[in-house]
Amino acid sequence: MERTLTVVPDDGLHARPAATFVETAGGFDADITVAAVDGNRPAVSADSMLGVTGLGVRGGDDVRLVAEGPDAEAALDALEVILSTPEDELDEMELP
Amino acid sequence: MTERRFEGIGATPTLGVGAAVWYRPTDVTDLDEPPATDAVDSAAERERFEAAQADARAELEAERESTRDRVGDDEAEVFTAHLKFLEDPQIEAGIEEALDEGLPAPHAVKQAFAGPIEQFEGMDGMMAERADDLRDIRDRLLRLLTGTERTHLGSLPEGSVVLAELLTPSDTAQLDPEAITGIATMEGGRTAHAAIIARSLGIPAVVGIGEDLDGIDENTELVVDGEAGVVVADPDEETRQRAAESTQTPVIQEPVETADGQAVEVAANLGTPAEAPPAVDQGADGVGLFRTEFLFQDRSAAPDEAEQFEAYREVCATFADGAADGDDTGGPRVVVRTLDVGGDKPIDYLDLDPAENGFLGARGIRLSLDEHADLFESQLRALLRVAATDAGAGLAVMFPLVSTVEELEAALEQVERVADDLDNEGVEYAIPELGVMVETPASTYLAEAFAERVDFLSIGTNDLTQYIQSAQRDLDRMTDYQDPLAPAVLRAIDRTVTAGHAGGAWVGMCGEMAGDPDLTELLVGLGLDELSMSAVTIPDVKTRIREVDTESAEELAASVLEADTLATVQERL
Repeated sequence: MERTLTVVPDDGLHARPAATFVETAGGFDADITVAAVDGNRPAVSADSMLGVTGLGVRGGDDVRLVAEGPDAEAALDALEVILSTPEDELDEMELP
Repeated sequence: MTERRFEGIGATPTLGVGAAVWYRPTDVTDLDEPPATDAVDSAAERERFEAAQADARAELEAERESTRDRVGDDEAEVFTAHLKFLEDPQIEAGIEEALDEGLPAPHAVKQAFAGPIEQFEGMDGMMAERADDLRDIRDRLLRLLTGTERTHLGSLPEGSVVLAELLTPSDTAQLDPEAITGIATMEGGRTAHAAIIARSLGIPAVVGIGEDLDGIDENTELVVDGEAGVVVADPDEETRQRAAESTQTPVIQEPVETADGQAVEVAANLGTPAEAPPAVDQGADGVGLFRTEFLFQDRSAAPDEAEQFEAYREVCATFADGAADGDDTGGPRVVVRTLDVGGDKPIDYLDLDPAENGFLGARGIRLSLDEHADLFESQLRALLRVAATDAGAGLAVMFPLVSTVEELEAALEQVERVADDLDNEGVEYAIPELGVMVETPASTYLAEAFAERVDFLSIGTNDLTQYIQSAQRDLDRMTDYQDPLAPAVLRAIDRTVTAGHAGGAWVGMCGEMAGDPDLTELLVGLGLDELSMSAVTIPDVKTRIREVDTESAEELAASVLEADTLATVQERL
């Protein structure tokens, strides 16, 4: 199952949004990878902080998420929420 | 010595002054050559690493918690990122591999982090700062693995400016903003976590100064200007002066209003006329309490009417010339309290007795209406005469320790009598604004009756607290009872303000409580029209008033008034 999304937080997949993203991804059984659509780096595991921040994804960039596993759809839904929420609204959210 | 300037990147728009303290953590990456691989017990090294990783996790969780409490949720999230890096599968795999090669745990950690650090260093901007995060995590693990003592930043003397090559997020999170007046680092950028945390803590910081910073010796006097991005070592007189001015809350020389436009008068408490000019300099709108005891103490006989006239006129003149005019009586308001003595304030020629004239004895207005009616009369004569002068247009007179309407009426009759006398003598006089100092439980119950008879009420929270709590204010053992935030005291204040307004008087406050900027919002919410305090706190309180939204201040007051215990009050504030 895959989904392509535009990253909303200005800082892209860095520091705080990245930590939230990795933490959320780690909460699912599904194997999830993420890659920058325009980038030439290979897809990385979504539960690796090093891999995710190393993609160098900025706000406005497109990313492709691929999830395999029983809860793949729920995982993609949760990660989509994080990627499409401006950073300053992230704290008010109840993350799954 | 001439001053030296070090240019860098300003990270916080504030300025601080202090003495240089170098922070040089032990270089934990400087490891000995690893022993031959066959001499290493890989299983033991793996356990050693896992123990260090668990300790690092516990430290990070504790630091995240304390940063949440001290700084904020956003800033604490850097530790979430560190926790994720700590358990990163790619790094864990690297460590596993190095342990399999027969490296001891510290060498394995160093080797596993080297590649990712190098990778991030090669990227631009924000990415490069992730390399700082990785070094921070690597060094935390190495410190735990090698049993190196942590270099603590949390217990530096007050007025320290911390100098360092680089401050990691975990270093910065330890900083105590009360003690540390500045930060200057060789490396780092504006968006580094350390800069962000310094900004949240309000610590002036200049980063990215470069190796020149090394030329500053321990204890050198420094000015850290986070706005200009400059550190000045051994500042000359002019720089020092400028720094001193900009580190204080700016003085506001005009009357202030809340954010939603409600005026609140901010006045000074004075003990002598000499305190008037500094109060004007601090932006006092007027005087909310001028204690007249100074005129009577430390001498062998009471001052005559002429001497008193001069002293009262002098204070009024100082304010008429210099102060912001916050009221509509024609000149800045100067509230003079008539003589307030008792057994705890001995005056030789008045023959006061500690028991007879103690806190529950004959003192304040009780003496003025009885055995010291002569002093009261001369004081009123001087005051009514000052009220007729140009400078005295804003004069107001307040009676202390009134607890019955009979007392108030007797005092008001005395004012009338003095006015008649002056009239008969052909001496110029005017009746000033008249008011009651509310400081006894009785007066809080009679506040409306008082307010119908005078122009204003002013709450003296020090004595009011003592009497409401039935705890003598000069007894150390009673300190716990002396908090004006005690629910009973707050309810007495609330009752007084409401009743005072219902009776048509304005209501002020002249106790210590009025000068605490942390209570300004509450006091505005309780409906006080005037706050009078020591001059030094005026700029802070005026600044706070401008930030207050009356509606939310009223909500705060309502919620605090519902609290039944001091602890709950403090919690809600």
